[in-house]
Amino acid sequence: MSDNWIETISIDDVPEDDVIGVTVNGHQIALYKVEDEIFATDNVCTHGHALLSDGFLEDGEIECPLHQGRFCIKTGKAMSEPLTEDIKAYATRMEDGQVFLKFR
Amino acid sequence: MSHENPIPMTPVWEHEDTSRIPFWAYTDEDIHKQELEKLFYKKHWCYVGLEAEIPQPGDFKRTVIGERSVIMVRHEDNSIYVVENVCAHRGMRFCREKHGHVKSFTCPYHQWNYDLEGKLQGVPFRRGVKQDGKAKGGMPKDFKTSDHGLTKLLVATRGGVVFASFDHDVESFEDFLGPTMLSYFDRMFNGRKLTLLGYNKQRIPGNWKLMQENIKDPYHPGLLHTWFVTFGLWRADNRSELKMDEHFRHAAMISTRGSGGKDTQTTNVSSFKESMQLNDPSFLDVEVEPWWDGPTAVMMTLFPSVILQQQVNSVSTRHIQPNGHGSFDFVWTHFGYEDDTPDMTERRLRQANLFGPAGFVSADDGEVIEFSQQGFEQKPFHRSLAELGGKEIEETDHMVSETLIRGMYAYWRKVMGV
Repeated sequence: MSDNWIETISIDDVPEDDVIGVTVNGHQIALYKVEDEIFATDNVCTHGHALLSDGFLEDGEIECPLHQGRFCIKTGKAMSEPLTEDIKAYATRMEDGQVFLKFR
Repeated sequence: MSHENPIPMTPVWEHEDTSRIPFWAYTDEDIHKQELEKLFYKKHWCYVGLEAEIPQPGDFKRTVIGERSVIMVRHEDNSIYVVENVCAHRGMRFCREKHGHVKSFTCPYHQWNYDLEGKLQGVPFRRGVKQDGKAKGGMPKDFKTSDHGLTKLLVATRGGVVFASFDHDVESFEDFLGPTMLSYFDRMFNGRKLTLLGYNKQRIPGNWKLMQENIKDPYHPGLLHTWFVTFGLWRADNRSELKMDEHFRHAAMISTRGSGGKDTQTTNVSSFKESMQLNDPSFLDVEVEPWWDGPTAVMMTLFPSVILQQQVNSVSTRHIQPNGHGSFDFVWTHFGYEDDTPDMTERRLRQANLFGPAGFVSADDGEVIEFSQQGFEQKPFHRSLAELGGKEIEETDHMVSETLIRGMYAYWRKVMGV
């Protein structure tokens, strides 16, 4: 891979219609798989600092298990109370059965 | 209404009027519990603080109404909310800080999280915990966060002062004060922004009503407070008035100091330490302020929770916070006004030395309240006397009367049903 695409885990290890937490270059990242597409965001909630990978993925939004704040997994945008701050979303691509991620 | 009490105590107000006050009014724990319900939690506005204490959105102050812990907080939209400091989940008093700045409130026990209006925002593991791709446990489907907010109080702000009530059917704050008290309230809080100068706090081992009575009793200052008399701040012959609202629950003692000279010939209460002088006379460096509009001292008792003080240049609120029938916390908030010069701020701070737990004057009040309570506990079947100036309840143009105390107890009897 060129540029700064970073290899993470196998596509098969990301659960279907669900989320998994991984550590990439020291960053806590949540990887999501929806209809064979992979998305990546920060994994730590900006409100109560819980791990979003312990939360629930529904309609393209991840709901934090602590206080039910919801983020869009494509953009990282905070969609509901009590959130006031977005998380970062990252570009992903799949190659050779692996998920790659770019911090930009 | 029957308690599991083998010897039911039915307190009877034996005297025909309120010129006698039974000691059980100060010593009976059951009466005290009824007072909290009837005077602090229903049909009354209670003091919570000054807007100046929470200037920024997210600023909060923890305080009490009666014996209930509450939080006064400024919302993002700049309005003020007062919520009860009891978590909707397991009932914990979750807020421990006296003052602070937050985006939301979180109970540390299970991290239930509330917004600044007290609305529940979310609860941990509402949907259970994920194991092997399945959610286990959590709240039932019909759990609604909107059913589980903090108890929200009704709030009234006027002139920078914040009052709240658990009773959402209470009359308006303005009606609660009545026109006479409102005019003195507005004199002191006339729209200028207040500035916070500081606090005094003390715990006084006496019944909370004694503090209200102390500021409805113009008989004692010239006799108990030798400091006042010695240094000429209080004279029994000061021009003065006693005023009340129509229910006799609130009152104002209004007095105007004479020329300031020590012309001793007119007073019955002599300044008996004429030779004594202040080492630092700046304690009494009084500057007449335009907003006084005459009176040099106006002491207001707003029943049941607060005293508003103007004693020359010293202005403060004094918050009465009962804890049991025989004790209350007394919290003084000294303030000033936004247009005060630095000199005036210094002057207000200097004069604040007269007040508070160790004040040149107020130290005396804490002690006599403690010793009064001791007398009541010793013979609860007995009664005290409040007959100075007659047995009637009426406004006066002098200070030699206990009419305000009689008035307060006439109202108290009506509300308490005794």
